[in-house]
Amino acid sequence: MSPLTTTVQNTGTGPLLRIAGELDYSTAPELRELVTGLPLEPGQRLVLDLAHLGFCDSSGITAFIVARNHALAHDADITLLAAPGPVLRVLRVTGLDQVFSLAPGQDTRTERAADG
Amino acid sequence: MTCRTGPGPDLPEGRRTAHTDAAFTALLEDSAEELYESAPCGYLSTLMDGTVAKINTTLLNWLGLTRDDVVGRLRFTDLLTVGGRIYHDTHFAPLLRMQGGVNGIALDIRQADGGRLPVLISSVTKTDHDGRPLLIRTTVFDASDRRAYEQELLRERQVAEEARRRAEEDRQRLQEALAVLQSSLLPAQLPQVPGMEAASHYHTASPDRLGGDFYDLFPLDDRRWAFFLGDVCGKGPQAAAVTSLTRYTLRAAALHNPDPVAALTTLNTVLHERYATGDPRYCTAVFGVLEPEGDTVTVELASGGHPPALVLRQDGHTEYLPTPGGLLVGIMPSAPFTSARTVLGAGDTLLLYTDGLTEARTGEKRELFGDEALLDFATALTDTAPRQVVTAMTGLLNSFGDGLDDDTALLALGVPMTDPTPASDT
Repeated sequence: MSPLTTTVQNTGTGPLLRIAGELDYSTAPELRELVTGLPLEPGQRLVLDLAHLGFCDSSGITAFIVARNHALAHDADITLLAAPGPVLRVLRVTGLDQVFSLAPGQDTRTERAADG
Repeated sequence: MTCRTGPGPDLPEGRRTAHTDAAFTALLEDSAEELYESAPCGYLSTLMDGTVAKINTTLLNWLGLTRDDVVGRLRFTDLLTVGGRIYHDTHFAPLLRMQGGVNGIALDIRQADGGRLPVLISSVTKTDHDGRPLLIRTTVFDASDRRAYEQELLRERQVAEEARRRAEEDRQRLQEALAVLQSSLLPAQLPQVPGMEAASHYHTASPDRLGGDFYDLFPLDDRRWAFFLGDVCGKGPQAAAVTSLTRYTLRAAALHNPDPVAALTTLNTVLHERYATGDPRYCTAVFGVLEPEGDTVTVELASGGHPPALVLRQDGHTEYLPTPGGLLVGIMPSAPFTSARTVLGAGDTLLLYTDGLTEARTGEKRELFGDEALLDFATALTDTAPRQVVTAMTGLLNSFGDGLDDDTALLALGVPMTDPTPASDT
């Protein structure tokens, strides 16, 4: 299994968190800890870039909900960027596609999507 | 063991003083004979038939015997305990014959007062110029301190083993408690619904981690029956607590208002209120009502974030019963739920499952089993009764091996072709 790797980049509109690898029962706590430690200002947008997320189970979905709760608690928004097909499918089945703002990925610069 | 009997070691001339000279003189007076008799170990010489020919005072004192009791009267083995004698005859003596010497064998010697002294015994055979054995020289070391130390080690090992055994018992008890708790989250057996056949299966991924899948089937009134199946996020005791809350909330809500959307809405309110802060706790669930009417059963169900139910038609057709837009239960103060309705005719089966089934990983690439494969698999089962459907699905789950690392619940509800048979748990 490829482990989880995360990188945080601060953009003008809020933190961009790239999540790559596998998000499951063993790795999700790591993401939850990271994401709840991200500083957020009111009105900012937390972007989770999922373009390189290879696998995501229900523990991963819980981590996204934790991220959303963290954003809402700071009057910030959250966007899931470039969710791969299987993740999109899970988001649709769970109805979370109505709860999260989803942005399609751009092959060139994901940062631009986050900025825009 | 070498017993030094000669003069002390030579020291450099310059270091010799009157004081050390005096000490060496005293040493030299300690004759070989004196050393033999009162050495800190026992000495014993025996003839080849074992008869004791010579024995030192140290050993006589340990034995509590006089020289006259022993020399020429007793054999070496007479000094040993019964067990020691057997060991001597079967191991010690043959080794000595073969090798001409034996080192550090642990035996017990008998003392005149009835006690026994643990000793370490070494023997060498003295031979003449032609190599013929003449006699056996034996040293005997008091090993009582060493034996006490060994017994202490042994005792500590026994204590450790006892602790391990107790830990194992505790683990066993915990496992039993978990199994009881787990079974309290599921019906002991499915009730018999008139005109229908029901079957279920629960696959436990890990006996150590309480699963969060659940299902139930129960009467609403003399006409209608309610069922639900779902999956609580996470595992362990916290998840089980949510599962318990979910199960009894749905049961109570159904009796109050059996409308599927209303039941899920009540559950959503309860879960969100209970787990609004801190660790998010939610579930996915399908809740439905069965209304038998003649040879058919009308099903109305609603889903909150749960994979769609499968309908296996008697005519060989299989379809998902979509409930798009239904949200996970418990994450939002108010949540949309979508209902769907279908009619089961004779030979039709409704199959509910949790995502352990579709998210199992298969093949070398460990790809998700997926909705399409499930649809294909179910299509081959359209001419079978709910019980056979669950049996086949259970076989499928087992075939995933370690590709299935999540709990999985199955509930099949169908209208039999022939007379209804009793409900069963597989």
